[in-house]
Amino acid sequence: MIFRAVEDSDLIARARKGDVESFNLLVSRWERRVYNYLLRILGNREDALDLTQDVFLKAYQNLRKLDDPSRFAPWLYRIAHNEAFSLFRKRRPESTEEVPEQADAAVTAGGTGVFPLELSLAVSRALERLSADQRETVLLKIYQGFKFEEIAGIVGAPVSTVKSRLYAALELLKEELAPVKTRGMA
Amino acid sequence: MNCAPFDLRDYFFGELAGTDRAGMEQHVQDCPACRAELVRLSQTRDALLALREEEIPQRVAFVSDRVYEPSAWKRAWRAFWHSGPRLGFASAAMVSAALLVLALRPAAPPPAPAVDLAALRAEMSRQVEAAVTRATAEAEARHRSETARLLAAAEERFARQREQDAFVVATELALLKRQMTAVYRASFDAREPQP
Repeated sequence: MIFRAVEDSDLIARARKGDVESFNLLVSRWERRVYNYLLRILGNREDALDLTQDVFLKAYQNLRKLDDPSRFAPWLYRIAHNEAFSLFRKRRPESTEEVPEQADAAVTAGGTGVFPLELSLAVSRALERLSADQRETVLLKIYQGFKFEEIAGIVGAPVSTVKSRLYAALELLKEELAPVKTRGMA
Repeated sequence: MNCAPFDLRDYFFGELAGTDRAGMEQHVQDCPACRAELVRLSQTRDALLALREEEIPQRVAFVSDRVYEPSAWKRAWRAFWHSGPRLGFASAAMVSAALLVLALRPAAPPPAPAVDLAALRAEMSRQVEAAVTRATAEAEARHRSETARLLAAAEERFARQREQDAFVVATELALLKRQMTAVYRASFDAREPQP
């Protein structure tokens, strides 16, 4: 008998055969990350939770269309990206790119207990100063750890555009966070 | 922004591979400015990671409902049509079967000679007319034969009826004659004196 970790691809294969419990296990692995991704984009917990449920429902309905199970994460975030920007378009049809200001102030003020609250607030404020595209790219790269190619697939833009957004965002964030970081670490 | 042979930020995010990465590592060792930039990038990333993930307020879970679940047959059907190798096998099998049928099919008959449609129509009309005439004559003959048979049967039946009527009349007359004779004798006997 060989013991090995149950991978996402195992769960996907079983979920494709109609095993709902396998899909629930898959959801439990990813729901927190997807929720936080949507939360940082939308700035509203209720919207983030609703869309998280929608994302996983669509993922279940379209699981058989996923050609390569090893690319489940970029595929899932692509669904989340589409859901988030579809919501933006519904609420602000005249604008398809810009994201509303972070509505839920408490979202941006969550201290970790490890880092100073001042640093956490500064990070939130700095992220708010970014454009929607820049913020999403930072979330996918820094917080979710996707490769540039995967991010390009998620947001539907060339790799060069993704890099441009990320590096422009980093320049802004460096300026915004350097003083606070210095004080926070001092 | 930097003097490195490749984008320092690509290197920082681990997006350089092979010889590019090795070249960049060599450059960073010799370049204080690029090392300082790497430190700033690292500090920025660390600061961003201070923002930890929140717990999801409500877990997402799905409940199996047999009403909405596809049947085993449908799942197998979908699995078949979503499987590239199986589809490929099915396509190859269909092509093979088609080739086999074409190979085993007997040769096609030679093409028929050109037909004079007008003559064909005239011939068909003639044959149809003859068939109609023949059928009409046969029907009339059948009717005549049947009529003759019915008349003969009726005459026979009438003849038998006449014979029966004649017998009844004769019998009635004979009876009447005997009655008349009896009446005559009775009246004669009444006039003659008894000895």
